[in-house]
Parts: sequence; structure tokens; C-alpha cells
Amino acid sequence: MSIVTVQLGQCGNQIGFEVFDALFSDSHCTQGLCSKRENEAYRSSCKERFFNEEENGVPIARAVLVDMEPKVINQTLSKAVQSSRWKYGQRSCFCQKQGSGNNWAYGYSVHGPRHEESVMNLIQKEVEKCDSLGGFFIIMSMAGGTGSGLGTFITQNLQDQYSSSLKMNHIIWPYGTGEVIVQNYNSILTLSHLYRSSDALLVHENDAVHKICAKLMNIKQISFNNINQVIAHQLGSVFQPTYSEEGSFHYRRNPLGDLMENLVPHPEFKMLGVRDVPRMSENSLAYSTFTWAGLLKRLRQMLISNAKMEEGIDWQVQPPLSRLPTLGKRSLSEQLRFNTSIANLVVLRGKDVHSADVAGFKDPALYTSWLGPDNAFNVWTTQRAFSKYEKSAALVSNSQFLVKPLDMIVSKAWNMFASKAYIHQYTKFGIEEEDFLDSFTLLEQVVASYCNL
Amino acid sequence: MGRRRRRVDRAGGAGALPEAIASLSRTLPGGPSPETFRRAKFDRPEAAPALWRLLFCVLSQLRAGGAPASPAPEAQARWVKSELLSQGYPRQGLAQLPEDGSRGSRELLLALSWLLARQPLPERLLAQTRVQLGDEMPVCECDILASPGLPAPRAEADGPVDARHLQWLMGKLRFRWRTLMASQQEQCALLGKIHWYTRGCHSDRRLGHLSVAETELLRDPESGRQLLRRLESENARLEAALEWRHREAVFWPWMDTVLGSCPPEAPQPASVPRPCELGAEELERQLWALQEELRAAVEARRAAWEARVGGRGLEWSVAQRATQEAVGQELVALRQAWERGGDLAQAHGPCRLVRTEAGVPAGPGLQAAQAIRVLQSREACLEETLRQLQAQCQQQLARLAGALPSLIWILPPGR
Repeated sequence: MSIVTVQLGQCGNQIGFEVFDALFSDSHCTQGLCSKRENEAYRSSCKERFFNEEENGVPIARAVLVDMEPKVINQTLSKAVQSSRWKYGQRSCFCQKQGSGNNWAYGYSVHGPRHEESVMNLIQKEVEKCDSLGGFFIIMSMAGGTGSGLGTFITQNLQDQYSSSLKMNHIIWPYGTGEVIVQNYNSILTLSHLYRSSDALLVHENDAVHKICAKLMNIKQISFNNINQVIAHQLGSVFQPTYSEEGSFHYRRNPLGDLMENLVPHPEFKMLGVRDVPRMSENSLAYSTFTWAGLLKRLRQMLISNAKMEEGIDWQVQPPLSRLPTLGKRSLSEQLRFNTSIANLVVLRGKDVHSADVAGFKDPALYTSWLGPDNAFNVWTTQRAFSKYEKSAALVSNSQFLVKPLDMIVSKAWNMFASKAYIHQYTKFGIEEEDFLDSFTLLEQVVASYCNL
Repeated sequence: MGRRRRRVDRAGGAGALPEAIASLSRTLPGGPSPETFRRAKFDRPEAAPALWRLLFCVLSQLRAGGAPASPAPEAQARWVKSELLSQGYPRQGLAQLPEDGSRGSRELLLALSWLLARQPLPERLLAQTRVQLGDEMPVCECDILASPGLPAPRAEADGPVDARHLQWLMGKLRFRWRTLMASQQEQCALLGKIHWYTRGCHSDRRLGHLSVAETELLRDPESGRQLLRRLESENARLEAALEWRHREAVFWPWMDTVLGSCPPEAPQPASVPRPCELGAEELERQLWALQEELRAAVEARRAAWEARVGGRGLEWSVAQRATQEAVGQELVALRQAWERGGDLAQAHGPCRLVRTEAGVPAGPGLQAAQAIRVLQSREACLEETLRQLQAQCQQQLARLAGALPSLIWILPPGR
């Protein structure tokens, strides 16, 4: 089944390019450490999901590019042309001359309705090219105006027009130090609206990815390109083909559907995060070897101690012995030292994958009292190595990992809202104080639900 | 002359019964040997497992995919019992049999012959399992709706259940439903492609294009050989069914002796009547007597009931009126649904999917648009019912919430 990607705004378009490039390079990598036949099955499975074949044999990304300024889209298109291995469709872009000025309301209430028909037509054309539509993958940031505001608007439209298709929003969480003064407003409006119209929110935090670039990849001058490549690698390690079940050599047909069924069936818990091991610069990779036991031990500790990368893991954190409710007795920060999971999905790729033992993730103490590991834990595997890593493991987790950043954003936005700062910029375009209050209520409810697991 | 008489004698003589049973056995899926039937007459335990299996095969094929593939013998026996019960099988002896297959072969034989007597069983089985060359699609859901399915394992929760767990399971179900929708759409898209690419290829002008099975035959010669084998075995079963029809007359007297050798059941069942043996008049008389009996019973019940609740007065009569209204509404809705679906009343079972060119006048078959209209009206009815039920739930929730003034209820986001 195929996935149609919608790239929105500067951030969404730049990441989208890196994602397709990572998927393409990995599926055409000759170092897959598996038989030629298996490599071909893997490649064709990847292609069915993410690429269309044109007559001259150059794969075309199943993507729609949307931005309100032409600059980034032009750059993205020309980068794809330069790669000369894959490209975007000739008529799959939509851009305008004037951006959204980092104003969610402008993207949502002005650009959205004005360009609704054109954008939805582009998406429909892309959908018609799929024999079977698995769902939508919508890449956007939540700090700015176009990606966040227009992205939210488009997601709601997809929910209306393709109500039974799956929708996953990939959201870039802004730096805590902030690029935009109203980023917290934009963020709460985005998150609260998406919580109603999307099936899952897969979140990448800029701060965390930045640290990975600095500490693990040893990059001195970190650019958005570096950050986007790390994100693309993590997404690839989740969405590249895996076997449909244990012992089978057929690849999974509907990764988006399976992932959502495993991780986000509950309507109040839709936040997903990704972690992966190992992670290092290409130079170090050549001199390193790994064991499954070591990788999985680190990944598990990253999960329970809520570490975003391998370096600086707190090995002191252990699952609590009893799972009595501790509601209200400890402060938020104390409560969250141990990261409780609702559900986890581990994706293992590479040599001897059948020998990997995931028992550490099946410990009931990792999960809530109302969902045991049988329901809460799943593992996907393939022998095919991913992107030059002989062995690699990724973890998609629906856990408390975002409670703190979310709580932070909500309270910062609330402080600004309480002093009525910048509100007029939103009311001017039809987003009333009532809408803000609804967003606060919903997100505080989300924080509370995640806290009281 | 002499030879001919001998053959007639043989047909009515000692060898005829085993041959009749053998032909019956060959028409049934995985039918056991005549010897098993003979042993069952004497209620020998060793014949029981084979007969449980046979009944399971027969009943599950009649259901066309309704039963699970091949459950454990105990589960098979349970399923057979519930299925026969739902079809109205009258003997209680069957329900009392142990499910481990250790005895009861005579009861099972009686059950099988009951199935044989009340419907043209071999014909229905053959119709269900016939080799299909076309792309078929059911146009109604009567079978599924009428199917009782396996008795659901009743899971009693040990303690209180966390509502979040139920919400999780519900959400999972929703995702599975959406996945199912996506795969159905995919199947339709691919079918459409095959029909489009093979248009004009079929020797039958009314069809015009090939089906999946026919396309597969062209692509892969091995599947042609497989098809041939399946057709041959179907032919053999057809021949056996014909033979059974010729020889069946010797089977029924024998079954009478089987029934005669049964110890009588507590309330003696009215033997195993073959409907065609009773005259129409006799049936009518029985029906009339039953209706009289029913009327008498209902009146007695009602009188007793009214005497009991008579004291409650006004409140009761309000509740009664509300119930009557609800029943009335439902009846009207049912009647409307029935009338709207009326033009499709004859269209049951699977239909072959055929693509016609736009503008070409429609053939004799059922139009997709017509079938879709009926489904849509049915969907609207169901949605209305769902809305009513949801409103009831919300009222109930609101009542509960009213009883706890210190509690704030916040509805979950989305959905």
C-alpha cells in the first residue's frame, strides 16, 4: 500500500526531501548484507510505498509540496533534480508569493480557505496514482505560520474528504530558546487542532536532534541540513520495509496501519517519539561492531530514563517496584524520572536479527496498569541492514516523553495569553480568545492523561 | 429377461443399501465409509468421531466460510450442537452428548438424516463449493446476519476493568476496520484493472472481459491443471449426487429402523417427519392447533402479568405506552426498509461482476448502482439507529453525572 506525503512550509519541504533521499539511497544501497533476491523484494516494497514509476524509469516521489513562498520549493525541486536518481512530479507543487508571517491564524484562516481547492486537487491527483492508498504522511513544523496553520487546515480537510484513510502528522517541535516570538501560540493551536483531526502525531524535537548532531555525529557547525538528515534517517529506519510477521519473508503491506494499530488506538494518547541506536559519524562506523544484546539494553534504558540519545543515559532509573498511583504526591519532575510507556514498537534491522532478544521490553513494569505487554509491545524485523549499519534498532514509543515539553509550551503560552500579548494578531484573522481557551483545555487534559498513567 | 430381473432384485436387495450409502458418502465432503453408518446404527462409539467431523464439514460448508477453519474436535462438536439447535433440530439426545467424541454415533446419524430430510442437502453443498470462474460478489448479507456464529467465549472480568483498556481495544477495532476498507478498495481497483485490460477477450459476448481466475489460467498453465483436477472432483460428486437420488428410496426405510432402535426420549419427538409425507391439509390443521395453543398461553400470561402490576398505576401505564410507541416506530422502520429493499427481494447470494461499457444498454443482471442505492438506504437506517443509541447513552451519562455534582466530565478529544 502506498503512502502520500504532504510537505508543508519551509521545514516540511526540506525534511521531506531528506526523507525521500534517505529512503531511496537505502533501498539502492548495495551493502544491504542480504541476498540479491531479498534486496529486490525490499526495494520494490519501498517503491510501492513511496515512489511512482514514470516511463523513463526515474522514480517519482508520491508527494505533494506546498508552501506560500517559492524559494524553498524551488530549492527542493532542484536538489531532487541534481540527485538525478529520483524526482518530484512535475505538477505536484503549489506555491504562492507571500508567506504567513509566522502567524498560525493567517495560514489557517486566510491561506487555507483561499487555496483549499488547488491543494486538495493536487492531493487527489496523487491519490489517484496509487493502486491502494495506505494513508497520508504530513510533514510540518508547528512554530511558524504556513506549515502549522495551513498544515492544520489541510489535515482537517483530509479528515473530511478521506475519513477512512489514515493520517499521521510528522511535527517538528521548535527549539526551546525559540526562533519565533509567538511560537508557543502557534504550537498549542497546531497541537490541539491536530489532536482532533489526525490519527497520530509523530514528534521530533529540534533540541534533541541538535544534540545528536553535536554529540554523536561530531558535527561542528550544525546546519538544518544536518538536523533534517538525522530526522530522515530515523524515519527511514521505521518506515522502510519489515517482515509482515515473525518467520515470514514477505514484507509488511500496510506499515502505517499496523503502526497505528499497535501504538495509538486510544484517542487521548496520540503522541509518538522515535529513538534509534547506534548513531555515529560515517568515519567511526567503519571501526565499530555491535551486538543485539548491547543495542537493546541501551535502547531500553533510553526509553525508561527518557534519554533522546545514547550519550548521557541515566542508568540509575529503574522501573518502579509497585505501580500504585502516586497522583499529586510528587512534583511533575520527580514523577517523570521514570518514563512510563503506553505502547512501544521496536524495529530491528540487520544481521542475525532472529537472535535478538527483546524480553527487556516485555516487562509489565514498563507499561501502564491497564495495558499489559501483550497489547502494548510489538517488534518488527528484517534481515536487510539499514543504511550502512550492520545492525540497527529503532523504537517508536507512545510514552510520557513529551509531557514536560508540552507542559512547558502550554504554560509559556498561557503566560502570554494572560497578559493578552499578540492576541490581536490572531483575532484579526478570526481566531478568537475562545479558540485559545479550547486549545488550552484540550492540551491540559492531554498532559493530565499522560501524567496519570 | 432373467438377467434383467436379477438386476432389479439386486437394486432392492441386500447390496442396495451399502451402495446407496456409499453414493451419499461420496457426495458429502470427506464422507465416511458405509461401514461407519452401519456401526452408527448400533450406536458403536468408534463411529462417533467420524460423524462429528462429517457434520462439522457439512454444516460449515453450508455456512460458506462461517465456521473457523478447523478447530479442535471439542470446539467442532460444540459448534455442531449450536448450529443444529439454531436450525431447529428437535432431539435433546444430541445436546446431551459428550463433546469428546467418545459416544453417541446413533444420535449423530439421526441428526445427519434430519439434515438430509429437510433440505436438498447434496445440491446445496454442491452449489456452495462449486468451482467459480467468475469474480463473484455477494449482493446481500442475509447469510451473515442469520448466522449465529460460534458461541462467544464469555470472558468475565476478575475485577473492575479500566475504561482506558476498553477504549484501547475499541480504537484497535476501528483501525482494523479502516485497514479492511483500504484492502477492499485495493481489491476493487485491481479487479477493475483486470477487467479493463482484458476487455473484448472473452468468448462469451455478454461478459466481454476475463475474470481473475480466467486471467490466471492464461498466465500459468499449472493453475489450469489444478482447475482441471477440481472440475474432475466436482464432476465425481455430481455423479454421486445423481446416484444418491436414484437410490435414496432404500435409505429411508433403513433410517426408520435406526430410529426404531432408539430408546424413546422423554417427550417423544414426533419422529423425523419428512414434510412432503404430510399432506397440506394435515399441516394446516397442525398449524391451526399450534396457533390456538399459543393464543391460550399468551392470554393466560397476560392476565397473570396484569394482575401483578395492576397496583402500580399511572407510572406503569406511562412506561407501557412508551414501550408500545418504541415498538411501533421500530416496526414502521422495518416495514419501510423492507419495502425499499423490495425490488431486490430476489437478488440473494453471489453475483458475477461484469463491467459494461458506458452507453451500452444494461443486460438482464443487477445494476451496481441499484445495489448501491439499497445499501445506502440500509446504511442510513443503521446510522439513525446508532444515533438514537448514542443519544440514549449520553442521556444516561448525563443522569449519572448529575448524581455526582462534585465531578466534572470532559469528553475525550476527537471522535
